[in-house]
Amino acid sequence: MIDRLDPIIHAPARLSIMAILAATEWAEFRFLREETGLSDSALSKQLSTLESAGYVQVRKWFLGKRPRTSVKLSRSGRTAFDAHVAALRALVDRVPSESPSVPP
Amino acid sequence: MESTQDAASALAEIGRRQEGVIDRVNVPGWYWWLVAVGMIPVGFAADTKMARIVVPVALVYAFIVAMVSVWLIVGGRPGARVSQQLLGPAGAVGIVLFVWVVVGASLGVAFGLQAAGFAHPGAAGTLVGAVLVIGAGPLLRRWLRRTMLSNRA
Repeated sequence: MIDRLDPIIHAPARLSIMAILAATEWAEFRFLREETGLSDSALSKQLSTLESAGYVQVRKWFLGKRPRTSVKLSRSGRTAFDAHVAALRALVDRVPSESPSVPP
Repeated sequence: MESTQDAASALAEIGRRQEGVIDRVNVPGWYWWLVAVGMIPVGFAADTKMARIVVPVALVYAFIVAMVSVWLIVGGRPGARVSQQLLGPAGAVGIVLFVWVVVGASLGVAFGLQAAGFAHPGAAGTLVGAVLVIGAGPLLRRWLRRTMLSNRA
């Protein structure tokens, strides 16, 4: 049986963000912006979606007088990402008779 | 419906992003030189056998290395910390072994030369440690990169 793909993660921009966060303990907003090439507003919007789903935790703090924002994958976010990767691998490795689908 | 090709593209994208993270948060080459060159004054200080000299020199060295390390992680450039899952047990053991080899070789050379009556055993020991750090540090870095790439999603 092939697991279903997670529609929240599968959107290209969010897939990139989740992939980066899955490789880190935490990442700063600036780091995510530079790695993904997204604008500030686009990145904020995608992070809000992921935060609403409970997949990421956003923390705002100060280094001296400079405000910083760091983001980390939540436990449920990591579980969802791992499941999504497993579903992608299952799709790639699937036998021709299987027909997975993306949930609505 | 998701095609096999789309899934393969998504997996490739995940791999590319994670490789980018690993490459960006790696320790820069000059870091090894800082750690290595900073060791040598500690060795000279140890040769004086005077605590009022050894302790401040060692503390200043530890402070500078600690501050630069923290700066590399959270300070002057956009930061991220690599997942411990990527590093894995093998990566952690590799780092600990590297430190043990450097410290062990430094102390071994220093005590050996001291027993042989050499005038500056501490400096010679830390010089050996510094050479090891400069020579093996980048090798450790490359090995850690390979380890992290093999542990990624």
